[in-house]
Amino acid sequence: MKKLLTILSLCILPFTATVQAAGGHGIELKPAQNNLRDQDSLQRGAILFSNYCMACHSVKYMRYNRIARDIGWTDDEVVSKMAYGQNRVVDTVETRMQDGVAMQVLGTNPPDLSLMARLKGTDYIYTFLTEYYQNEKGDWDNHVLKGTAMPNVLEGIQRHATPEEYEQAARDISNFLEYVGEPAKLQRLDMGWKVIAFLLVLLLLTYLLKKEYWRDIKH
Amino acid sequence: MSEFEKKENKAKQGTLLAWFDKRYPLVSTWNEHVGEYYAPKNFNFWYFFGSLALLVLVNQLVTGVWLTMSYKPSAAEAFNSIEYIMRDVDWGWLIRYMHSTGASAFFIVVYLHMMRGLLYGSYKEPRELVWIIGMLLFLVLMAEAFMGYLLPWGQMSYWGAQVIISLFGAIPVVGPDLALWVRGDFIISDVTLNRFFALHVIALPLVLLILVFMHIVALHQVGSNNPDGVEIKKIKNDKGLPMDGIPFHPYYSVKDSMGAVFFITLFAIVMFYMPEGGGYFLEPPNFEPANPLKTPDHIAPVWYFTPFYAILRAIPDKFLGVVAMGGAIAVLFAMPWLDRCKVKSIRYRGLSFKLLLTMFVVSFVVLGWLGTQPATPELTKLAQIFTALYFMFFLVLPFTSKNEKTKPVPERVQ
Repeated sequence: MKKLLTILSLCILPFTATVQAAGGHGIELKPAQNNLRDQDSLQRGAILFSNYCMACHSVKYMRYNRIARDIGWTDDEVVSKMAYGQNRVVDTVETRMQDGVAMQVLGTNPPDLSLMARLKGTDYIYTFLTEYYQNEKGDWDNHVLKGTAMPNVLEGIQRHATPEEYEQAARDISNFLEYVGEPAKLQRLDMGWKVIAFLLVLLLLTYLLKKEYWRDIKH
Repeated sequence: MSEFEKKENKAKQGTLLAWFDKRYPLVSTWNEHVGEYYAPKNFNFWYFFGSLALLVLVNQLVTGVWLTMSYKPSAAEAFNSIEYIMRDVDWGWLIRYMHSTGASAFFIVVYLHMMRGLLYGSYKEPRELVWIIGMLLFLVLMAEAFMGYLLPWGQMSYWGAQVIISLFGAIPVVGPDLALWVRGDFIISDVTLNRFFALHVIALPLVLLILVFMHIVALHQVGSNNPDGVEIKKIKNDKGLPMDGIPFHPYYSVKDSMGAVFFITLFAIVMFYMPEGGGYFLEPPNFEPANPLKTPDHIAPVWYFTPFYAILRAIPDKFLGVVAMGGAIAVLFAMPWLDRCKVKSIRYRGLSFKLLLTMFVVSFVVLGWLGTQPATPELTKLAQIFTALYFMFFLVLPFTSKNEKTKPVPERVQ
């Protein structure tokens, strides 16, 4: 039995370790401390995303009606709050920027953010959003990604709101992007333990069945 | 010991079964491979992994079929179609995670299954063919996994495949043409993706199934080995049945069912609560679409290839690295002849074998870890040492095993 446990724990070992994010960041990442189950935060995040990010970025793998269903809005609400009534609910969430404009203005194409949270993690997004600074020349730069083409879009909030509100805004956006990265995540987490509970009962039954059959085998 | 009766190999007259049995060898096939297949009664934990490998294979086939219904094998659409499966297809996320977790689970199970073979000498006479067919299965499984990994068309899919296919280019004379032939293009492109898809969903699974069939037929011809490494067919009762054997069904069918449920429980924990497997099962860079113009900072193959990848990188010369990597797998085929000890099970073998096997396992695990790390000079040195130890196992074994000081092997299973 002891041997068996050793073997099992060895099998699980690879799952427990995490791969360190490759490629150095400018600074240590701050924990986003976002909560996917906080629907208010997700709703605020969606609106912030629409107002501050969608001028350049898309989350093209998401549809408006899916967002509505998952974060507690009606179809009408999502279109009015995120798209100013300009899109249909079945549309995917695309940037309002015309093709090619970003290349002229910023010299780069802003990436789609559907999977940014899965690619870099929410801590990265949170830290990135809150770590803008002005260099000696007075230009905005970012501690996480030096020389980024992205302007400090939350500057207005940073100037006019309290530090807590500003950090909360960045947290809400990170939260929304985590949701967008894997919209079925909560469904997965909520379903998992039920499946596992069922399997444990089944395991007990199969164990008893095995024991019953093996009674006639003498060792 | 309980007494088992020899079962009739014919169905009762006048029944529906008899109608079928007259036209198809139903009863005799069932009896030969299940109802009357006598397996040693002393199977331990290690003996679950054969049936578990079969279970994972079925999981991969079934979830694979459903994924194929929504997946689009084109460079323009592949990445999008995966996200479509994850978001818009009902239960698509579950099917996809079952498949991606299943890929890693397959290798965990198969590596443990092979380990069992090494521990109890299951490759030895008369089971050489069982082992060789199993090794072929392992080879095809690696090809299957490698091609499957390109299909999501993420950055790691693309650059991982780029690294591996470029290895063909290291072969003298024909190399570059061979790599071109495999890719079907000068770089990995739509045409590569398409052919990998064809091989991943049709050709290789077909070969896998045929080899699995042969693996089991070969096993049932010679009978299963066991943790004591004694042949149960040697000692039979007056009915001609092995004294230490029990019918596979119902004894091992119920036992393996229990093992299967236990395994599925662990599988579910990973699939529901860590489907990315800590970045080992689904690598983060693969959430970015393939970009032929942008090489990732650090390219690491999926964890189950990393021991061999570490061996490849340990050798300074590219071609010799490829040879060493291939050799690391090829040499396993020769195990039945490299190990010259007559005693099968590690339980009764000498200290030299125990030490050698430990060294082999440790080097395999360390190489696996090294393969996930960037190749710094220190780590490369380490990889060279453990590559040497890996091969040392096969080099030393024929000499030490010839006159190994073994313990007496019992007549019957303990």
